[in-house]
Amino acid sequence: MLEKKQLEKYLSACMRSEADFAEIYEQFEKDETISMLNGEVEDVNRITVSGIGIRLYKGVQSVYAFANETDEESVMSLIRDLRTALGVRDDGPEVTLQRVEYENRHPVKIDFETVSLEDKADLLKRANDAAFAADRRIAKVSGSLLNVKQLVQISNSDGRLISDTRVRTRLMVEAFAREGDNFQSGSDRPGAGMGLEFYEQRKPEDSGREAAREALVNLSARDCPSGQMPVIIDNAFGGVIFHEACGHSLEATSVARNMSVFSGKLGQQIANPCVTAVDDGTIPNAWGSENIDDEGNFQQRRVLIKDGILTSYMIDQLNARRMHTEGTHSARRQSYQYEPTSRMTNTFILEGNSTFEELFEGVEKGLYAKKMGGGSVNPQTGEFNFAVNEGYMIENGKITYPVRGASLIGNGRDILMNIDRICDNLTTGQGNCGSLSGSIPTDVGQPSLRVTSITVGGTANE
Amino acid sequence: MNKQKWIDYALQQGFADFEVYQSLSSEKKVTWFEGQMDTFVTSRVLGTALRGTYAGKMVNLATEDTSDDQMEDLIARMKEQAGAIQTSETAVIAEPVQCEEVKSTKNWIRPDNEQILRILKEAEEKIRKADERIIQVSRLQWIESKETREIINSKGMHIYDESRLQALAAGAAASAGNEVKDSFRVEVAEDPAKLDIGEFAAKLAEDAVNKLDAEQLESGTYPVIFEKGAMTSLFSAFTGLFSGDLIGKGISPLHDRLNTQIFSDLITVVDDPRNTDAVSLANFDDEGTPTCRKVLVDRGVFRTILHNTRSAARMNAETSGNGFKSSYTSPVGVSPYNCYIEPGEKTLDELCEDMKDGYVITDLAGLHAGIDFVTTNFSLQCSGYWVKDGKRDHSVTLVTVAANFLEMMSSVTAVGSDLEWKHHTVVTPSIAFKGCAVAGK
Repeated sequence: MLEKKQLEKYLSACMRSEADFAEIYEQFEKDETISMLNGEVEDVNRITVSGIGIRLYKGVQSVYAFANETDEESVMSLIRDLRTALGVRDDGPEVTLQRVEYENRHPVKIDFETVSLEDKADLLKRANDAAFAADRRIAKVSGSLLNVKQLVQISNSDGRLISDTRVRTRLMVEAFAREGDNFQSGSDRPGAGMGLEFYEQRKPEDSGREAAREALVNLSARDCPSGQMPVIIDNAFGGVIFHEACGHSLEATSVARNMSVFSGKLGQQIANPCVTAVDDGTIPNAWGSENIDDEGNFQQRRVLIKDGILTSYMIDQLNARRMHTEGTHSARRQSYQYEPTSRMTNTFILEGNSTFEELFEGVEKGLYAKKMGGGSVNPQTGEFNFAVNEGYMIENGKITYPVRGASLIGNGRDILMNIDRICDNLTTGQGNCGSLSGSIPTDVGQPSLRVTSITVGGTANE
Repeated sequence: MNKQKWIDYALQQGFADFEVYQSLSSEKKVTWFEGQMDTFVTSRVLGTALRGTYAGKMVNLATEDTSDDQMEDLIARMKEQAGAIQTSETAVIAEPVQCEEVKSTKNWIRPDNEQILRILKEAEEKIRKADERIIQVSRLQWIESKETREIINSKGMHIYDESRLQALAAGAAASAGNEVKDSFRVEVAEDPAKLDIGEFAAKLAEDAVNKLDAEQLESGTYPVIFEKGAMTSLFSAFTGLFSGDLIGKGISPLHDRLNTQIFSDLITVVDDPRNTDAVSLANFDDEGTPTCRKVLVDRGVFRTILHNTRSAARMNAETSGNGFKSSYTSPVGVSPYNCYIEPGEKTLDELCEDMKDGYVITDLAGLHAGIDFVTTNFSLQCSGYWVKDGKRDHSVTLVTVAANFLEMMSSVTAVGSDLEWKHHTVVTPSIAFKGCAVAGK
């Protein structure tokens, strides 16, 4: 990381332009991935990322340069390009930086760099063995263990200098079950903003067994029927429904440019009154947490929807200028190779009053989506889609048989109004969210809930 | 970084062979929003990937910190990695091979910043004026990129190439009542002076406006045409079927199907990294193996498996020169490069006339999640238009299309003539299918 005096020199140089704000983002990151197939380590990949991103604002215009050659000549060359793009001036304010200290909310007990590759591979082996032991029909098991340590330092022309260290770990297990020609897969992908102590809480064996269980269920699943029907979406990764149907459309990236179905709707009812939803980047050691956002501001808990009323967007500093409002410290980015913008952190719907059994009451024919896959949304139109990895038909209020190949589609404006019952079993699941500023870790979450009508896409001819 | 010094040191440390792969990418992107420049992004990133065989195991490491004082530590870390690897199949550091090089026919002419801003301004104005229902021009941008690759190894290989791209891209939103629809378009611009901005704007606006007044279809099974863009997206998601890596591991459903009929006999699939019709070409892959033209599927019969050196070793085969990295940080994978389905003879309009009544899919969403690669089942959000008596009738939205890809590719009724190389390395023409399950009302 660059020294304070050097940063002051660079920031002062940036300000000798038409810019009214300048920011330097430095990143040094070590990633390690161990991959295993059928109990044997196939690959160990290590990556060191080291680079710098410099951004200047003039009103709501921004210019950004990034590189990984950080000698003075290279950095000054980037600054020259940026000043030229905005307009060069001979004078400007001298920047003096003041380091901001704070208490780390996400302490790490077992640093992955202090643990041998063999011991880390053993975590994968434990998951592998548990998956194979689950059933003789488990034919293949693949897995990978990802460990990341990301150091960032952010300084800006307001005089702020602040650093953060983000440590994350994730175990990804995929099991394949075979019965005759029928070949199906299942997976489990837990992760946290923790060191390897995470696997003392979340045992690798549980991941192996969970991946095998899903693959085995899918062996006996029938093709999913199509059409509009009530859908009960289970907790944990089921929260991808909110992430896609609503979360992306509440990011200032689209709201500030009037490109979201929820632009201009603050204070209005956009969801059923039983829905309260938050985005909280402060949860200790959660997968999507961090001490500071990627503009150097402290992460926050944001209540997005309260009792169905839209109460907040997620806003980064640049879009705050566009929206003539305060930012919510929501700027995130994959790496220095991306300009930051407003993104989600850990986003979930809060608990309601229904029991799990009550969700099924009165459903003559519907879908119980127990495990969701990923999805996507077009914030401009509000149209979203997501995949169901493990689903069951509901007939006359009872779960009857497993189905596969289902997807759910709809419009964010409608679906939030159609949530009519929310259970009391909130949990979260881990995902990687891709958007303008790259792929970032995010938690999604919700209690089990019921949507009165949604379009289910399936392959069964009925 | 003194590359030869790193190679020599690795050999001294007991590596049987060693390779340094470097890519240098520089990019410029200028975006425009509501009458002014919105963002300007410039970058230069040097990426280095090290690879070597130690104790019979191939080890990979990528770094952006290549100062020579890192050398000893990084090579010690690679030796530690080799100790943890248990599988016996390994990639091979390639010997240099003399081969004829195909030269790109592209002659990129770079515009200066003023010209870029003029193009963007004109594009925004023309898109807005193209139709009164256009309410916004979004993601309007000029992109320039240049990437060089260099591979040096201990067997005497030293090869280098570069690729470039320049393009204009934009999105447009159209509105009628409460309904909003959007479109997005990319135009590769070899010579910016020859860019027909009027045509670009008109097509973009037309795509967005055509999606208005859309209806859901009744759920059912209908004859379907995947228009070339949607078909390219779908086919790209399934090109892993031909990967020797996934076939060797038994994960690709084609693992025991070589030389058997897998698709309709109307389908021929070719992979040709040296195809000069494509925007980019590669004379060698990311392992330094010379590339070549291969027929993967010949009139429906699966003929060629794509390999890198590692998957080839696993299957006791030769590499096909398809060892490509998704970025310098990734290990060498197996992927197609300039892969296409051979076009037929009918235009899209003629395919519609032949179909009489059915559904033309122009856009697919959710491809990263709605596909089960193991079974090839997919269920995806899509939009397009309904064809009645062979002519476009009304727009269709918020429906899903679901099928089994292998079964669907066996039920092709016709292949269109509209193959078009844009910025993709996988392309297809429009293809008509007997029937697919569509879920809507």
